[in-house]
Amino acid sequence: MIRWSRMHAALAGVALILVTNAVLLLSVVYNRSGTPGGTLVLSQRELRLPAYAVAGRENSGLALRLEWRVLEDAVGGASRAAASYSGGTPAWLNKAKLAALGFDVSKPADTAEGRLYYRKVLSKEVLLVLELAGPAYQTVLDDARKQLQDAQALRAADPSKKVLEQRVRNATALLSREETQSSRLFVVDAGRDAQALRARYPDRTKYALMRGQVSLRIVQIDGRPRLSGYISGLAIDEVNVPRAYRRAFLPWLDPSGHSGTPSPPRYEVSVAFGKRLEPWITAVSVPPGS
Amino acid sequence: MARFSVACRAHRVAAMAGTLALQGGNLVSRAPSRTEAQQRADEIRNFQRELERLEGEGIVELTAAQRQAIAAYHSRLFAEYTRAYDIDHDVHARQLSLGLRVASFLGALALAASVVFLFNQFWGRLPMAAQVAALLLAALGSFAATVWIQGRDGTGYFTKLAAMVAFACFVLDIAMLGRIFNVTPSDRALIPWAGLALLLAYSCDLPLLLATGILCVIAYFSALAGTWGGVYWLYFGERPENFFPVAIALFLVPQFIDHTRFPRFAALYHVFGLLAFLLPVLVLANWGQASYFDFDPSVVKGMYQLVGFAVSAAAIWLGARRQWPEVLNTGVVFFVIFLYTKFFDWWWAVMPKYLFFLVLGLIAILVILVLRRLRTMKYRLERGSRP
Repeated sequence: MIRWSRMHAALAGVALILVTNAVLLLSVVYNRSGTPGGTLVLSQRELRLPAYAVAGRENSGLALRLEWRVLEDAVGGASRAAASYSGGTPAWLNKAKLAALGFDVSKPADTAEGRLYYRKVLSKEVLLVLELAGPAYQTVLDDARKQLQDAQALRAADPSKKVLEQRVRNATALLSREETQSSRLFVVDAGRDAQALRARYPDRTKYALMRGQVSLRIVQIDGRPRLSGYISGLAIDEVNVPRAYRRAFLPWLDPSGHSGTPSPPRYEVSVAFGKRLEPWITAVSVPPGS
Repeated sequence: MARFSVACRAHRVAAMAGTLALQGGNLVSRAPSRTEAQQRADEIRNFQRELERLEGEGIVELTAAQRQAIAAYHSRLFAEYTRAYDIDHDVHARQLSLGLRVASFLGALALAASVVFLFNQFWGRLPMAAQVAALLLAALGSFAATVWIQGRDGTGYFTKLAAMVAFACFVLDIAMLGRIFNVTPSDRALIPWAGLALLLAYSCDLPLLLATGILCVIAYFSALAGTWGGVYWLYFGERPENFFPVAIALFLVPQFIDHTRFPRFAALYHVFGLLAFLLPVLVLANWGQASYFDFDPSVVKGMYQLVGFAVSAAAIWLGARRQWPEVLNTGVVFFVIFLYTKFFDWWWAVMPKYLFFLVLGLIAILVILVLRRLRTMKYRLERGSRP
């Protein structure tokens, strides 16, 4: 029988606190050691400032929110750019990919038994590939340009119709948003083996790996149910801003302290991804005149 | 896990161990805990009142020497207990203590929240090294303060406040380090949190910290069970069956670890074990889709309704047999909930509301009669078994 004195309890408590902190800090050191697994230069389009209320007096910390997107299936002529923020059912996350991620996809999706089964399957943690301003973004951009061209062609054929004029205005606004405001960061692949994924996406300035969650959805494609994966979240969706870089964001965090209406945020943030796929900020720059 | 025999106030009560060596005819070589001291004080008061009645009715009459010896012994015990723990001397003191406990609990929660908001208010203005240092020092400092206060606080109320703040500082420490360095959230953080909560609970005799530690243990092992089932750990609550293994283990803890020095702790393990088992069963009895089983959801619901009735009935039986009132009462509450839920399913839509509630009332009366019967039978059995 162990007899504990107050001293034993005190020593055990101190050891517990110190060891826990040490393990956590060592994991951070390990993550940031060596060459980063990837460094993406993200702008205000991919890393959003929090709303003023969040960054208000009650919380002096600052974290930038990762805005990531998914290239959805183009269904019924709908825009690929629509409804693709923070989750989605990309075409590449098909049955074969889901099986490779460890999901049991043997049941047919078009039976009641299959629907019940897939509704019950919960999210799994997998590795996701983030692509910055790559082919996925280019596809969305091309899609928006094509929409504008189609709308302009329709208006040219019948200039008297107001609805066609409105459609052109909407397509112009969408293209402008895609070119200047929307996030260019897309989840383009998933897997379980980080090395295999990195071999497939070797460009470390354009591709980064992160942990995230994938669940199952049954989507209707041309009236037929089809099993698809749904990317439901990233394990880390905010990146903390250390005090050394905080100053760059002050004009947009505390507009009352600056003369006149602040211009829309414009900044570039270098984010490195380490051995544990955890990100951190390595540099922040603000273009002159912002 | 080794059997705990935590000497909380060794420097104060060490002397008591010798003076209180002979208790209840057994040789006790250790100092009593606060709970044990309070229980003994209550028993002495009851004994004194009963002795007065017996003497008043002429049943027994002690000699002056005997009376004096008992009185001297009791007053020495009271003096030692009071010096070590500031125990309650009478019913009024006990009522005041209840108020103090409530104030202490609310104060502990408020102070813990205050620490969290204080750090949130200023951490962004500190460089990273200062943030880490502040978090570590807050965790270590508040823990050291708890140990220091514990050695000087006979009442235990201030120790409880300090212990809760120490736990909050440690949780804040790990959570904020994760935020500062963008560390992937992990269920493993629950292990050291549970460790510190349990350490504070046992070394300071604090049921509030034990409950906190048990909750961390429940969350960790349920998440672990979910991860083994292939689920992302944060979604462990979506499959209520994940709670079953840890619920059973918690219920059995007092069977394997001696809690004589912490009588209230064994009851907490029993209650949390039953809650961690019966609440998920209640969820599954009404929402079969949440189960791991691939059967038809209505079959799963029916199965868990049966399990709910069986386990709560077993808890009533076990609580009555082993004299565990907390187990008996939790069993009764869940049995009635399962019964009422079933009645709601069957009759709410088809019965007039007055009749529905009348049936519920009659069922409650039936439960009272059954429990009274159980109590009477137990009393008779006990009386019959006495020589």
